[in-house]
Amino acid sequence: MRLGGPRKRTRSARPESPLVCRWDLDKTYLRSEFTTLRQLLRTAFERPEQKVDVPGVAELIRGLKAAAESRGQTALVYFVSASPPQIGKSIRAKLALDGVPYDGIVFKNQLEHLRRGKFRNLREHVGFKLVELLRGHLAAPADTRELCFGDDWESDSLIYSLYADILAGRLAAAPLTAILMRIRVDPLLVAEVIELATRVPARDAVERIFINLERRTPPATFRLFGPRVVPTFNYFQTAVVLAVMGRLRLEDITRIGTVLVERSGYTARRLDNSLDDLVRRGYLALPAAERLAAPLRAAGLLSLPDPRMRWRRILVRLGRWRPRRSEAPPSGALDYDAILARVQPAARHAAATGGTP
Amino acid sequence: MPTIAIDAMGGDHAPEEVVKGVAQVSLATDIECVLVGDERRIQEQLEGVSYNPEHIAILHCRDVIGMAENPREAMRRRDASLLVGTRAVAEDRADAFVTAGNTGACILACAKYFPLIRGIRRAALASVYPRHVEYPGQDRFALLLDVGATVRCEAEELVHFAVMGAGYARRISKVASPRVALLNMGSEETKGGETLVAAHRRLRALGGINFVGNVEGNDLVRGRADVIVCEGLVGNIALKLIEGVSEVFTDLASVAAERRLTWRFGLRLLARGIERLRELTDYAQYGGSPILGFERLCIKCHGRSTAQAVANAVKVAAKAVRDRVPAEIAAAVTVVG
Repeated sequence: MRLGGPRKRTRSARPESPLVCRWDLDKTYLRSEFTTLRQLLRTAFERPEQKVDVPGVAELIRGLKAAAESRGQTALVYFVSASPPQIGKSIRAKLALDGVPYDGIVFKNQLEHLRRGKFRNLREHVGFKLVELLRGHLAAPADTRELCFGDDWESDSLIYSLYADILAGRLAAAPLTAILMRIRVDPLLVAEVIELATRVPARDAVERIFINLERRTPPATFRLFGPRVVPTFNYFQTAVVLAVMGRLRLEDITRIGTVLVERSGYTARRLDNSLDDLVRRGYLALPAAERLAAPLRAAGLLSLPDPRMRWRRILVRLGRWRPRRSEAPPSGALDYDAILARVQPAARHAAATGGTP
Repeated sequence: MPTIAIDAMGGDHAPEEVVKGVAQVSLATDIECVLVGDERRIQEQLEGVSYNPEHIAILHCRDVIGMAENPREAMRRRDASLLVGTRAVAEDRADAFVTAGNTGACILACAKYFPLIRGIRRAALASVYPRHVEYPGQDRFALLLDVGATVRCEAEELVHFAVMGAGYARRISKVASPRVALLNMGSEETKGGETLVAAHRRLRALGGINFVGNVEGNDLVRGRADVIVCEGLVGNIALKLIEGVSEVFTDLASVAAERRLTWRFGLRLLARGIERLRELTDYAQYGGSPILGFERLCIKCHGRSTAQAVANAVKVAAKAVRDRVPAEIAAAVTVVG
């Protein structure tokens, strides 16, 4: 069943272009708890079977791979994590336990920062992640299309947006340096990012950036990042948007929905509400939502529409008659001044005083 | 989980505070919320706050009944959020309704769409209000009914109010045998005129409720009774008096603090006590007044409700649904006869 997407991908590379999915780990794949030192230590020493994945994420990754294969494409999955490599063994075992196929995983060498006395680098991940993402992109086939997956705990929306704008050639070295310095990225990493950025051939490779709203950050917060960033509340919503983009099949959404219902206590109503929320936020057109809902209703994942509500539904449709959030990527780079002023009060102060925070 | 329909457009601070309140509920509980109102305006508010979309549905409608509108005329506007929400409950699409909108229209809407419990003649708007606690473990809230749904009452209706109030307190406040009193101008049973004397006599003779006799105005904020019964006119005046005194007290404290340094210092020393008093008298804490007497539930919030007040009202409504309050009242009325 076609849910939309492929025919609209006129701007995309050829259909056989490999798809690269870049994943964050904590709070995006894993439900890691480390708001306190005790939780952090516990996370570090957790056994693989004790680690908890976000509901539906393993099925989503498997679905992305399988859907690509069914189209004769390759989908490569890479994890970039700011966790130390010391927990790598446990993470790899967890991914194996979940049956998640992946093609690479990178950790942040926190001990090295400690050894060098660069304590700020322990918490600052923008530089580290940008370097790893750019390295990964340079190592990938030339015509790859990319999807990025992160969460709302750190700066994933900012990191991935910078990455996308660098790849698209929308961020020149000077403004990029200014942005990275303003975030107080280690100057050595800034130089490395700039060096890698200059080697990247300009191509708009990032299709979408999905942000898992684990912290329930208000979605309006992400408006400054433009339509490329899609904040989602659960992986059912992510799957629906991916299906409409032609990156997942209906059976993949059904599988993810079933897992949410059977293992995580979701109900048909919760999935209904999730779908409606996507439509209201403009990430899903009403006709696409209805095309998608019919088979999901047949599978028992969504509730049947109340016949008494027919007229009200027509009224709602008329009310929702408004343009969808544009799928077109921004013509220029995002307004990073505004983004930084919003996400970083220190940066806001610096911007106001004309200095560097 | 109960499904609660919430009038998103009703109240002085709607839809902002209502949507915020529902968003809080969606994050903290599993209650299924249906926001009734203009979808676009609701969504605009929702996207600016933290919320869990899995527990929020929106029932779109375009019309809104204003706070100062004539309730009878407002009843003609079938697409108003207050009426659409009430109908949603009547048609079983939600289990209870919460609104901070026009009180008169709310009562008329309930009367139009919800059937009265068998044996009950008139509905009552019951108000939960803070009172002095007389002994450890006593609920810090009492129930006053009616506070405006039925302006003038007969003795039999006052008896029904007593039964309904006792049923509600048993379920919601978890008081096994709530003490029920009649608001009067004296504690003697012969005081207050024909209706109150007859009501007193009937309540005294009634089994199944713990009737403690008449209470006077000054007993309202004491812990003598858990349920206080009166006709709507008196109840409304009493309730507004309690609210007004509390507000005046806070205002006086602010004025005093501005006037003299020594007073400001004294108030600073009393700050914790004043804050405690403010908390105790803050209507936002107890989240709305149930309209009792119907087979379906409706919680009427204060018109000035904040997000916290709306959130508490939704939780109270869900609790009342789970504890089957209308069924409890119906059973109590059957026993009384």
